[in-house]
Amino acid sequence: MRLLVIEDDRDLNRQIVNALEQAGYAVDRAYDGSEGYFLGETEPYDAIILDIGLPQKDGLSVLEDWRKAGIKIPVLLLTARDRWSDKVQGFDAGADDYVAKPFHMEEVLARVRALLRRSTGHATSDLICGPVTLDTRAGRVIVNGLHVKLTSHEYRLLAYMMHHAGRVISRTELIDHLYDQDFDRDSNTIEVFVGRLRKKLDVDIIQTVRGLGYILIAPEADNKSVPSV
Amino acid sequence: MIAARSIASRLFFSAIVWSLCLLVCTGVVIATLYRSSLDRSLDQRLNVYLRAIVADIAAGSDEARGEPGQLGEPQFQLPLSGLYWQITRLDSGQADIKSSRSLSASKLPRLADLGFEADALGVRSGNVVGPAGEKIHILERQIDVGDDGVFLIQIAAATEDSEYQFTTFVIYLAITLAVLGLCLVILSALQVRYGLRPLHVLQDEVRAIRRGESDHISGVFPEDMRPLASELNLMIGFNREILERARTQVGNLAHALKTPLSVIVNEMTQDQSSSSDKVVEQVQIMRRQLSYYLDRARTAARYNVIGVSTEINPLIEGLVRTFEKIFRDKSLQFDIIMNENFLFRGERQDFEEMIGNLLDNAGKWAATAVVISVEAVPQSDLHNLNHYFIVHVEDDGPGLPPDLRNTALLRGGRLDETKPGSGLGLSIVQDLARLYGGSLELGQSARGGLRASVRLPRI
Repeated sequence: MRLLVIEDDRDLNRQIVNALEQAGYAVDRAYDGSEGYFLGETEPYDAIILDIGLPQKDGLSVLEDWRKAGIKIPVLLLTARDRWSDKVQGFDAGADDYVAKPFHMEEVLARVRALLRRSTGHATSDLICGPVTLDTRAGRVIVNGLHVKLTSHEYRLLAYMMHHAGRVISRTELIDHLYDQDFDRDSNTIEVFVGRLRKKLDVDIIQTVRGLGYILIAPEADNKSVPSV
Repeated sequence: MIAARSIASRLFFSAIVWSLCLLVCTGVVIATLYRSSLDRSLDQRLNVYLRAIVADIAAGSDEARGEPGQLGEPQFQLPLSGLYWQITRLDSGQADIKSSRSLSASKLPRLADLGFEADALGVRSGNVVGPAGEKIHILERQIDVGDDGVFLIQIAAATEDSEYQFTTFVIYLAITLAVLGLCLVILSALQVRYGLRPLHVLQDEVRAIRRGESDHISGVFPEDMRPLASELNLMIGFNREILERARTQVGNLAHALKTPLSVIVNEMTQDQSSSSDKVVEQVQIMRRQLSYYLDRARTAARYNVIGVSTEINPLIEGLVRTFEKIFRDKSLQFDIIMNENFLFRGERQDFEEMIGNLLDNAGKWAATAVVISVEAVPQSDLHNLNHYFIVHVEDDGPGLPPDLRNTALLRGGRLDETKPGSGLGLSIVQDLARLYGGSLELGQSARGGLRASVRLPRI
């Protein structure tokens, strides 16, 4: 999953980005409203963490402009102005959740997980696809009751596919959502990671849809859900 | 201390006093002029007769002297008619007195003997009692016609008629002036009312601003009052500007302090040393204190701000929209029961802060539903001009035993540490409500949970 952090305080920005990267997300960063707005408008993020007090363009204006432009990426507001009037204003501008400063990083991580979960229509933090369970809170993968150790890239790939299980995902979409903007993108690496993931999971849940991409599907639902090619 | 009289009564009473003084003076002057005019007219009439008699005597005709009263005036012939003449020869050594028939056997008294002084022409005039006991006015002149003798000629007329005319005139004058005075009183009252009307309009406008029904003075005022209205508008605007500036500064301060606090908390959380827990704990205390005192600063900045009112329906709807998102994982049902749209006499942010805290509290404890309802408070005390409404926020959670309700209203009074929050919510609601002359009461909801009722002033 690929996230964007827009926070003008460089220390806080670094802390949030580090925490999110450690939690397995690909993260881009911006330090002012204009840059943040541009990235949010042009890159396909899965969620955005947006501070309200930003130079050049304040967070609420950025959010309102995104919503006017039809960008529906879930947004978590960071705000030092924690009065209810500020929160109402934030939600009315199109925010999906808020965290009041000062905050613990666990709180931000929990809110981001909840945002991603809700935006992909999942009710709980455990994402299940057949014998595979992804515990988004602990960042663990369990297959048939056994813990499977994955690298961060493999985890990102599985997490994205688990969030969008049952839907065909193109290689381009995977590249867009698994790597931050500084990463050297090569679609061949995706095939390498998918191969490794299939091997580690040792269950046939990732299917290749020729010419389109991949689909994550539980083995028993296999025949019903695979689109014909 | 005696209250100063109103401008209206000052203007009215001073106008009345001056008008009455002028009317009385006018009356006295007119009456005096009329009186002297009457006297002069009588003098002129008698003078004509006097000169006619003098002419007759000067002609030297005994006949004429014997009956000089051929003056064409029948009243000289009628006994005690009130019009008399008398000629007295002074040089004969004997009483040689001739008089009009109207005098009968009576004689006119000599003014010279009574001490009346003669004027430059040698004519004396004076009022004495006449032969019929009436008041008469006498003109008296002594003429010397040489060998024909020295004569004292007296002409008299009763003053009864002129007295009557004068009294009648004074009565009519008094009635006229009284009517004029009454008209002046009415006109003065109307003038004062008309003149002070812009002041009353200004007063109404200022009252409307104080009540929050308007945010500036908009009426059309006379030229000399326009600077006052414009100064008042500037003052109100300045007041609002100070508030906005204070609010922005407080917001900036919050941002300036809370962001570094976030950095410290997160840096320390990663630090495994023993001091990091202490730092995190102290930062949490700083966070609570910061929130509390920033709220107080915002409230103090807003206190006594005039001309503010807030429509509550959209605010409650906005808050409910927000809380539906905040508690969406809990699938809480938020119901609003509002039959009337009230105008809160206060700041939007304060209303949202109070109801937001109550909804937040209710949402944390509710099992399935939160109900927010608004009702008007019946005005029981006619002397109390403030109107109120009550916002009830109820939940179907576990509720709060009566003995713990006061604790919940204390600053930092948290009854369950498992629920998130600073423990300031209800205390802030209570403080804000009191600041606006309202109150917060906690009770038992029919739905089983807590019922928080905040009473606030309305327009």
